[in-house]
Amino acid sequence: MARNKTPDAGEILQGTLDLLILRTLILGPAHGHTIAHSIESTSENALEVEQGSLYPALHRLEDRGLVSSEWGVSDNNRRAKFYRLTAKGHKELAAATSRWRRMTRAIGLILGESNG
Amino acid sequence: MGFQRYLNRESKDRDLAEEIQSHLEHEADRNLARGLADAEARRQARLKFGNPLAVRQRVWIYRSLPIVDGIFRDLRDAWRSLRRTPGLTIVALLVIALGIGVNTAVFSVVNTVLLQPLPYPDPQSLMRLVLFTPQRTLDGASVPEFNLWRQQTGVLRDVAGYDTGGAGLNLTGGDHPIQVQGVHVTHDYFTLFGAPVIAGRTFTEAEDSPHGGNVVVLSYGLWKQRFGGDRKIVGRTVQIDNTPYLVVGIIGPRFVSDNPADLWIPYQFDLTTHDMAHYFSVAARLQPGVTIEQANAQLKVASDEFRRVMPNAIGPQNHYGVVTLKEATVGDTRTPLLILLCAVGLVLLIACANVANLLLAKASGRQREFATRAALGAGRWQIIRQLLAESLMLSLSGGLLGLLLGYTSVRLLLHVNDGDLPRVGENGLAVSLDMRVLLFTFGVSVLTGILFGLVPAVSASRTNLVSNLNESGTRTGTGFRSANFRSALVITEIALALVLVVGSTLLIRTYLKLQGVDPGFDTHNTLTMAMSISGGRFQTSDPVDQIIRQGTERIKAVPGVVEAAAGNGLPLQGAFGMPFDIVGRAKGNAAFTGGAGYYSVSANYFEALKIPLLRGRTFTERDNASAPGVIIINEALAKQYWPNGDPLRDRLQKAPGSGPPFAEPPRQIVGIVGNTRDNGLDHNPFPTMYIPLAQMPDGETALNSRVAPLWWVVRTNSEPHAVVAQVTSALREATGGLPVAHIRTMDEIDSLTVSRQRFNMLLLTVFGASGLLLAAVGIYGLMAFSVEQRTQELGIRMAMGAQTSHLRNMVLRQGMVLTVFGVAIGIGAAFWLTRFLASFLFGVEKWDPLAFLLTPLLLSVVALVATWIPAVRATRVDPMTALRFE
Repeated sequence: MARNKTPDAGEILQGTLDLLILRTLILGPAHGHTIAHSIESTSENALEVEQGSLYPALHRLEDRGLVSSEWGVSDNNRRAKFYRLTAKGHKELAAATSRWRRMTRAIGLILGESNG
Repeated sequence: MGFQRYLNRESKDRDLAEEIQSHLEHEADRNLARGLADAEARRQARLKFGNPLAVRQRVWIYRSLPIVDGIFRDLRDAWRSLRRTPGLTIVALLVIALGIGVNTAVFSVVNTVLLQPLPYPDPQSLMRLVLFTPQRTLDGASVPEFNLWRQQTGVLRDVAGYDTGGAGLNLTGGDHPIQVQGVHVTHDYFTLFGAPVIAGRTFTEAEDSPHGGNVVVLSYGLWKQRFGGDRKIVGRTVQIDNTPYLVVGIIGPRFVSDNPADLWIPYQFDLTTHDMAHYFSVAARLQPGVTIEQANAQLKVASDEFRRVMPNAIGPQNHYGVVTLKEATVGDTRTPLLILLCAVGLVLLIACANVANLLLAKASGRQREFATRAALGAGRWQIIRQLLAESLMLSLSGGLLGLLLGYTSVRLLLHVNDGDLPRVGENGLAVSLDMRVLLFTFGVSVLTGILFGLVPAVSASRTNLVSNLNESGTRTGTGFRSANFRSALVITEIALALVLVVGSTLLIRTYLKLQGVDPGFDTHNTLTMAMSISGGRFQTSDPVDQIIRQGTERIKAVPGVVEAAAGNGLPLQGAFGMPFDIVGRAKGNAAFTGGAGYYSVSANYFEALKIPLLRGRTFTERDNASAPGVIIINEALAKQYWPNGDPLRDRLQKAPGSGPPFAEPPRQIVGIVGNTRDNGLDHNPFPTMYIPLAQMPDGETALNSRVAPLWWVVRTNSEPHAVVAQVTSALREATGGLPVAHIRTMDEIDSLTVSRQRFNMLLLTVFGASGLLLAAVGIYGLMAFSVEQRTQELGIRMAMGAQTSHLRNMVLRQGMVLTVFGVAIGIGAAFWLTRFLASFLFGVEKWDPLAFLLTPLLLSVVALVATWIPAVRATRVDPMTALRFE
């Protein structure tokens, strides 16, 4: 049997990963590989995702109706599954973003940082 | 949502695999672009992605429903486990199929007869009008009563009268006339039963009045068969008994009438008549919001008014009322059907006990399996669940088999003998597998599965891990408690089987007694047939007498015929009733001296049926309209009204005080004949009088011709069916082309009268035999298992020098102790339960010593045989093998 989990320093909280995926998709439809690299590069490689863990998150988001998917052809002329943000996904992104902001602010206050 | 996700998971997984592949290729492309070699580019891509299988597994788990997966796993395990012991599985399946099959069979009949609502709109408000007397409820009606009920508009509406039997009419015109079932009805009949009219209309009130003209409504079946389904028939005339009838309408195919009917004709009652003859039934609907109690209260008041207008019409204690039409139709079948349902319930219990025992035996051989499972972390509930899955799989497949078995057998049974049950249709075709039967069988299957599965499951789950794992081999002994429990199950089986067999013995004895009852005449070599004489030709007695003379003369010319006669009824079929006075005898306050069944019969009627003449003389051709009025009474009437005197000296006034059509002078009693059993073989003979057909008042003949056929009786000197063709053609020639129907021998009629008893007897015997067989299998199974378990012990005993006979007797004793316990409990239970059978017994006491001695004996013998085989096997144990077994 395969090992289920690799304890990884870069492993990020599930809710956070969902938020990052939704945020990435706001720029337009993308396939899994693009999303992974987009998260990696925009976070200045601070969040190095184990690329495989992206997919369970994507499938969950699709089941919740936040993203939709269809097979298409990528820039490399390869078949790839493209994910697109749904209207419900847009709403959820806005809500999750503000939740996230409130929380980081609260944590920042507790840690005694000045509100920047 | 969740379930959808679950069902899609395989295709989604394939999709994901492809997606991962695509991702890896994109990453490899990227690595190639960075200048890596092909193999390295791929390796790096895989490293960066992580484990693809782990990803797929995470998605797979997220998409699964643990409960559903668990059920599938349990079913798979159950299937494997059942396949491991095919013999046991097949025996268990057959036992369950038998138990559930008989239940499905009986329940499907109960469902059709008792549970299904009548096939009419708003069936709960349909009522039958009856007369309540302190003794019983009578449901015939006369015209004045019908008129009275019609006027109770406060509580009743759509009051309609209809023939109870139907006369049979001759559809003439065309090459060959046919006799059809014509039912007389009043015009409200169709509204009352919500009969769907598919063409034309039903009768108007005017058409249902005297001189309303000849009109007819056709049934769908007759319309299709005889008139080719031509709608233009409406508005045309058809010939009925050579009289033109205007077809006014056609009723749709789905209408099931109370009496099967080919066509309907209006009664055209004269509502002013005082004629109190009872010859039809009346049904009505309760007005909306009116309860049965309110209707009965109102009808009781009406009865008192009626008594003032028509003195002596109904007794002072009696009053009119309603019962639901369904109750009136099926009421007397409820108790026997429920008894049969209880009987099959017992069979099922025996079957359950049997299968529980088999599974217990199996489970006790699997202690180590369960202990191992428990050691590997299976919870108690998981073990129970697995065993329940096994028993449910058994019971559900057994139930399916049972459904097939039950349905086929009930069809077969009703085809052979419909037990005179109402509502089951011709040959029981109305008995079908509807949702209710399917649900019943399913419910019973699940319930039995849990019932026989729970005990082994719970006892198996209560394993002691350490001791079981430490024991060697698979033959760990059953615990003492489990062995006791299994013995108790077998005792129960024997007791239940005993109850069933006692019940069936009582019914068999009843049936044999009934077979031994002398019907009062010779049923052998007697052919009977019905001829409708409803046409205008037969409204007076003379032409009826004439066709009988001509007919009998022609029939007697047929070779093989010994005697021929006719009458308005046959013995065993029930007669019309009529009051009478004995001239010159004081009757106190009573309206009449008494009442009796009456037949109008031709000369030689008694000779043809071989009803014995006890005193005086029988009728001859000379007893015609111009001769003085004569009457013959039966022995029962003579004994009841002349305990000491001589009836032949007296004269009898029939139907005293009735209106003009029935009025006649008193008749001289000229003979006393033997009793015939007209109310069924299980009832005492009823007082009966016989009047020469030729001497009937014309009005009465007219009424008889309308409501009842003329019955011909032909005595032959050989097999009566052989002369049917010649007799019917002789009759057709003699009567100017009138057809006959209902051609049956008296032996057939005789057997019909006991068909319900035979039905009950047959079924209960089948159930008793099933119970006996199951109990035998049960005790055999237990003893065989016990011998196998004790192989080692028996081997040691034998090695120590025990006699084989001693070992055999040891096993036999063990089996017979169980049997004795079971029989003792069974006798007690049967003694208490047979009271419910009492009303179905005839000539047998409910504690019939024969049944209560023979049955335990039979059961003990069967148990002895079932124990003998394992007992003998015990003596064949080879000590060496037994000791080395471990």
